[in-house]
Amino acid sequence: MSDPTHAPALRATRLGRLYAGRPALHACDAELPAGHITALVGPNGAGKSTLLQLGAGLLRPSSGEIRVFGHAPGTAEARRRTAFLAQEKPLHARFTVADTLRMGRMLNPGHWDQAAAERLVRAGDIPLAARVGALSGGSRTRVALALVLGKRADLLLLDEPLADLDPLARHEVMSLLMAEAAEHGTTIVMSSHVLAELDEVCDRVLLLAGGVPRLAGDIQELCDGHIWLTGRADPMEEDGLPRAFDRGAVVHCAVSGRQVTALVRTAPGAPLPAGTDERWIAETPSLETLLLAHLRGAATPATAPTTAPTTEEAAA
Amino acid sequence: MKGVLWLAWRQQRLMILSGAAVLVACAAWVVYRRSEMMSLIDATGWVPCPGWNGGCESLATFQIMDGNVTGIRALGTLGIALPALIGVFWGAPLIGRELETGTIKPALTQGVGPRRWFAARFGLAALFTLLASTVVAALVAWWWAPIANTLDGPYWHDAPIYNATGPASVACALFALTAGTLAGLLVRRVLPAMGAAFAAIGTVTVLVTYFRRSWIDPETRITPGMTPKRPVGSAWSTGEFGYLTPDGREHSIWNVCQTSGEELRRCMAEHDFVARYHKVYPSSDFWTFQWIDTALYAGGAALLLGLTLALLRRRIA
Repeated sequence: MSDPTHAPALRATRLGRLYAGRPALHACDAELPAGHITALVGPNGAGKSTLLQLGAGLLRPSSGEIRVFGHAPGTAEARRRTAFLAQEKPLHARFTVADTLRMGRMLNPGHWDQAAAERLVRAGDIPLAARVGALSGGSRTRVALALVLGKRADLLLLDEPLADLDPLARHEVMSLLMAEAAEHGTTIVMSSHVLAELDEVCDRVLLLAGGVPRLAGDIQELCDGHIWLTGRADPMEEDGLPRAFDRGAVVHCAVSGRQVTALVRTAPGAPLPAGTDERWIAETPSLETLLLAHLRGAATPATAPTTAPTTEEAAA
Repeated sequence: MKGVLWLAWRQQRLMILSGAAVLVACAAWVVYRRSEMMSLIDATGWVPCPGWNGGCESLATFQIMDGNVTGIRALGTLGIALPALIGVFWGAPLIGRELETGTIKPALTQGVGPRRWFAARFGLAALFTLLASTVVAALVAWWWAPIANTLDGPYWHDAPIYNATGPASVACALFALTAGTLAGLLVRRVLPAMGAAFAAIGTVTVLVTYFRRSWIDPETRITPGMTPKRPVGSAWSTGEFGYLTPDGREHSIWNVCQTSGEELRRCMAEHDFVARYHKVYPSSDFWTFQWIDTALYAGGAALLLGLTLALLRRRIA
């Protein structure tokens, strides 16, 4: 905190924000180190957009504080180093694409990369003279992204950047973002509902549910810190897990027919949990499996005690 | 143009250019009509004769008035409507549309802070408002001045003249712009903000007009005995007539002696009235009224602008 150059790209401390009288974020503690691509995931209304807008300085915290590179959002320093893509990709409909990029150049004097912005637009076959209002949703997203990338910011806060893109464009944009991060050390935070594609591009994840972080950390470490179990359901137990099983470590379990599946917290290299044997299938979960289990666990808190988190997990 | 000013210009240029075109057309029309009027005045050798009973019920007066009163009133009506038009169609969308479409988000996450962003767009709109209202006010005054306060023609206190000329009309337009801007910021939707702005501007204008005569006292014109009251001339009659007793107390005609001739003499003697009075605002009060209204509108505009800045600061960093 004392030295801004070593401050995390984004740090939230007991951050709270009311939306329409209800807390959209509540006592949220989170820290996103610089130089990583973080996936911001969570159900609708989890507070993802609120957190991104707080980081971009478009909202003010109701309580607690948020810092980007050690600066309060909305200050000149924070504004220069942050770029933001809003979920609905708002752009002036009567502007041409060229006007929109010119706006970026005019409002970021000395920090504008016209070539990078134009490259992204041209790759999408969008004529610069076209009116923004006449573009398809995907093309508009691309122009909005060009406005973000042209800013040459150190932290990109992207709210659903992939939502309107077709699979090809999605792939292209993701590799572009990865190249951006690799080349310039840019920190990227992107919210998304497309869980399956996230681990291609992201190396960290922040899972929000009900306005609080449920899971945060390095994706590989998080996956290694969990085990995905499939076995025969115990008919004597309500949740289908063996009697000796340590239920405190279960994130989520589900019974379908005679089979039970469970996501369980574990330490890397630890033996199988008590009550299971070699007939059980134990796998390292994929990011999607991990996130879905945590999302389902968050929806039914009884099966996912949020006490006793591992080191990489934020306390709920 | 550079930076936020370019953005403000790019977004408002259509309004500014079309507004300027309307102004130029108005000016050309007034120049043509006024030169016609002036040559008619020269040809007939007409001299101004202010007042309802100024004593110039001539054919020349009739011709001059007939040809120009409608035009002056129409232009004055445009001048009356101008603040509301500016407030509703320029002020309300100024921030309201940005909030409604969300375009405020990309604008305020670039390298420029919200205060400079607001200063540029509001400043440009205020500049044009100032220009447009001054031009319209000057055109009305210029056209009207040669035949001011004549017969039944528009008087200085008639709305199309009073509300469309002078510093008050300029201040009113700036107030309306500010009220519309604040409405857009509060309501965050263009159409309802337009309605709110119209209601607010209308209410304030009506209130200022209604209380106008509360701020200064009229002049009391006294004529001794039964002498008929002085011709009202270009003064603005308050409609208050009456009689004075020797101690100087006023007795309104609404209560006593609503008669004339011999009957009036008897009535006045009976009540010991020694003089008659009539309360009017002389035409020189135009400027007093104008400066009071200007102060009210300018004060209101400053207040609303301060409120807008504070809200902008609180809502967005």
